[in-house]
Amino acid sequence: MYTGSLRRLIDELGRLPGVGPKSAQRIAFYLLKVPTEDATRLAEAIIDVKENTELCPTCLNVADRGELCPICGDARRSTTTICVVEDPRDIVAVERTGQFHGRYHVLHGALNPLEGTGPDQLKVKELLGRLEPEGVEEIILCTNPNLEGEATALYLARLLAPLGLIVTRIASGLPVGGDLEYADELTLGRALEGRRNVAPSEEN
Amino acid sequence: MGLRRLDLTSFRVFSHAIFEPDPTGTTVLVGPNGTGKTSLLEAVGYLGLARSLRGSPREALIKNGEERAILRADLLMNERELLLEAELLREGRPRLQLNRQAIRSRKDLALAIPVTTFCPDDVTVVQGGPGGRRELLDEALVLLNPSMAALIEDVEKILRQRNALLKQSGGRLTAEIESTLEVWNERLVNAGDELVAQRIALIELLADPINDAYQTLAGSTEESITESYAASAPAGLAQGLEQSQREDLRRGLTTVGPHRDDIEFLLDGRDIKTQASQGEQRTLALALRLAVHLAARSHLGEAPLLLLDDVFSELDPGRSRRLINELPRGQTLITTASPLPEGVDPALVLDVVDLVAADG
Ligand SMILES: [Zn+2]
Repeated sequence: MYTGSLRRLIDELGRLPGVGPKSAQRIAFYLLKVPTEDATRLAEAIIDVKENTELCPTCLNVADRGELCPICGDARRSTTTICVVEDPRDIVAVERTGQFHGRYHVLHGALNPLEGTGPDQLKVKELLGRLEPEGVEEIILCTNPNLEGEATALYLARLLAPLGLIVTRIASGLPVGGDLEYADELTLGRALEGRRNVAPSEEN
Repeated sequence: MGLRRLDLTSFRVFSHAIFEPDPTGTTVLVGPNGTGKTSLLEAVGYLGLARSLRGSPREALIKNGEERAILRADLLMNERELLLEAELLREGRPRLQLNRQAIRSRKDLALAIPVTTFCPDDVTVVQGGPGGRRELLDEALVLLNPSMAALIEDVEKILRQRNALLKQSGGRLTAEIESTLEVWNERLVNAGDELVAQRIALIELLADPINDAYQTLAGSTEESITESYAASAPAGLAQGLEQSQREDLRRGLTTVGPHRDDIEFLLDGRDIKTQASQGEQRTLALALRLAVHLAARSHLGEAPLLLLDDVFSELDPGRSRRLINELPRGQTLITTASPLPEGVDPALVLDVVDLVAADG
């Protein structure tokens, strides 16, 4: 029905998250109409982000190539507390609350055997490697309030508590089954404030 | 409470049909076989339970040659107008929406359209494997208390995750598998023990109503029904999982838990599954549905929408009459292949052939 290059664009757009076939078609026709400079700017932005962005060597947040992310690069932020999140987008959500002044660690996922994600696929070793050098005293487990996020928090609590750290979990009260990303800053702020010590259950 | 209008597209034999039942009373669906009387009840049941009354797979619900079936229901619930929509695709999960918001839990369905179903297949709940009995019990839990759906869905998800992990282990308990298995075990113990406790409490709540319903339908108080919950981990899941760990690893699945439990029914001490007549089994199947329906009415303040799919053709006139006497007033949809028994007072009789929308 469409020419080769238009078909290709619609197919590529349709692969983006949240973009169905109808939206892909609408965006493609929109791009066909805009001035060439606008389309070029978009194409360049996509190439730029791929070429010049990588993961922060410390916390695995997104960062400019060869540099620390803005948070790890900010000397005013405390290094004694690390907030562990699943995804870089969750950092944005926690930052919006304005209540956290420590650093982050991005796991890049949650325990999910169905999708083949175990501890080895998460950035857990990298987290363990930060504890001593940075003098970490508290770990806040800020994984999503859904099944996989809770399991990940439980796993990390069992791993970290024996190391003599304070391990806390954000308070419940977030919409269950939801994503942190979609929690409003007031609710997430309260969840952070009300975080509780997690002591893994006693093994008998 | 009630179903005002149901719009079907590419569902079973229907290209497009519009169904407007009587909002408060009994609507009887008539029409030659193969025109879709049962399919119409199946569509309503699907919206309430997210499954087919006939236990059909999803592909079977989509009209031949079509990619998707769409159900759209206008409901009135506590004087609120609701639009409940379901899109069933040949592949991928069905999409359900309430007032254009995605539904994530069966809780929302139970709140929007509580339903009770009676079908000729119900006798398999008594005669067949434990899965049907667990399903009846879990659906009753959700009908009486919709927030139970979250607990049931949690258990299902934890089991899927735990089983995936067990399969990955290839039977070997490495340190990594062990440390993650402990996490899923703890989740399963918490949610699983809670679900078992809820089921046992429900059985206790329903014990007298089931016996009353059985004796009423049988027309005799000579014999009584008793029931007991047969847990696969009678001492709790923590111990159960510990004891089954080796077996679970070997088989790559979870061999104890609420998904392996059963409910046993005794008729004056006789196991009704193996030592009762077909008639007694059928009466118990009806009594179970009736007891749940009556309990739901007293919990919700109003009877759930009642779907009676060709129930009377399987019953003798006495049992039919007694069932009708026991059913509370409320919105009811009936299909029947035989003449309606005495006592049914239809507010509306619809020929299914007339429901097919003109636009095809
Ligand atoms: Zn960083």
